[in-house]
Amino acid sequence: MQSRKFYKIGFSLIPVFCLLLIWQLLNILNIFNSPSIPSPFKIVTAFGDLASKSQILTDFYTSIWRALLGLIIGSSAGIILGLLTGRNNKINMVLSPILNVFKAFPPVAMLPIFITFFGIGDLSKVFSISFATLFPLWVNTHIGASAIPIEYIRSAKLLSKSKSKILFKIIVPASMNSIIGGFRISIAISFIMLYVSELAGASSGLGYRISSSQLSYRYDEMFAALIILGITASSVDYIFNKVIKYFFPWVQLNKLM
Amino acid sequence: MANSVAISVHNLSVSYGENKVLDKLNFEINSGEFIGIVGKSGEGKTTLLNTLAGFVKYNGSIDLRGDIGFCFQNHSLFYWMTVAENIGFGLGNMSRNQKQEIVKDVLKRIELEKYEDKYPMELSGGQMQRVALGRAIAYNPGVLLLDEPFSSLDIYTRDQMIDWILKIISELKVTILMVTHYLDEALILADRVFVLKNKEIINELIIPFSKPRTLAVRFTEEFQNIKKDLSLIINPYKPEF
Repeated sequence: MQSRKFYKIGFSLIPVFCLLLIWQLLNILNIFNSPSIPSPFKIVTAFGDLASKSQILTDFYTSIWRALLGLIIGSSAGIILGLLTGRNNKINMVLSPILNVFKAFPPVAMLPIFITFFGIGDLSKVFSISFATLFPLWVNTHIGASAIPIEYIRSAKLLSKSKSKILFKIIVPASMNSIIGGFRISIAISFIMLYVSELAGASSGLGYRISSSQLSYRYDEMFAALIILGITASSVDYIFNKVIKYFFPWVQLNKLM
Repeated sequence: MANSVAISVHNLSVSYGENKVLDKLNFEINSGEFIGIVGKSGEGKTTLLNTLAGFVKYNGSIDLRGDIGFCFQNHSLFYWMTVAENIGFGLGNMSRNQKQEIVKDVLKRIELEKYEDKYPMELSGGQMQRVALGRAIAYNPGVLLLDEPFSSLDIYTRDQMIDWILKIISELKVTILMVTHYLDEALILADRVFVLKNKEIINELIIPFSKPRTLAVRFTEEFQNIKKDLSLIINPYKPEF
């Protein structure tokens, strides 16, 4: 079983290594050699330099807490709002106009407004990520909660008089597939917004590192930071899936991946 | 208790908007009776069960003794709960040990003791329906409403289910109303059969076969004659025979 797992991981890494090898060869053969596109070897060296100065670790920690905090705040609000609007017609009538107007706003365009209100510090960055991640969760949870088959609700109401039991044992799990779908979209969006928000008024963070390295023509450092950002985002998604599989083994993850 | 009235319905009418589905139904069902409800599609059979369960608004009066257990056509098991959790969901204020004992007892009755930790999606259609029935009887309801519980099953599994119901029917001190399209099912299981047509009960048939019954009852001439009469009542212009 263990060897099969290693085999699976090894097999999935082959395309990545092939791509890097071709990239390195093209660079050596001067076919694909430009100052703005450094070779994988140079990028690895730049990563070593950044790591030795602990700069990249500071950038990583700064970015990850901004992204995760924004994601947690935005997704929690999105799930609560989605459950409310998905299961209660009156609340839906009141809140759906707000949902429809605000979800049409590009989150990137809202960044100057957040900076105006919350300054150029961490608060505006976290809020912009929260704003961007709220709507995919709200919409997905709303769809999931409103599409629960009536038989589930009717069965539950016959079997239990407790509203909180019906909410937490029936409505939330029955909406879980949609919530998970929305959460995975929000994970990707949170890292996009992280990058954008760190372009404005940041002094550390992976987004800031990518931008400042590009401005100082350190393309090797820029790529190193970019790759770390990508690996971090996909690692968060991977860990999230593992957690879901562990705590909710009935979720049909195979349909979501 | 043997002949006390479990369900009493007077002038029951149900409408969906302008469309009247049930019109001034009147009937009484004794405790422990098994009633089969037959009729063509769209005659209001499921609506009658939904109304008795309190899912639908109605005019008239319904007097019903005890809690209601409901078994839907598509089983409607909670797929995020294991078999044991599904069965135990309706068990209210009692200790964990008490709940576990009741769940164990139900699992034994539905003959799925080894499946308590399985999820519904890991079970066959017949097993899922048995869990749905187990969930409905676990909290000892006074009335059990079955809405075409075997319609999604193949003919062989359906026979197995009928056989199983015949076995446990004597143990369950519960009044049962079952909607079905299959006359065999109604005639084998029920004490009385109601024929729903034109928004009302047009016929009430007392099934003469003594209990306990077996599936073999359907091979008797009397059974076939009753089935033929019933079929002609439901659809006089296109008889089955």
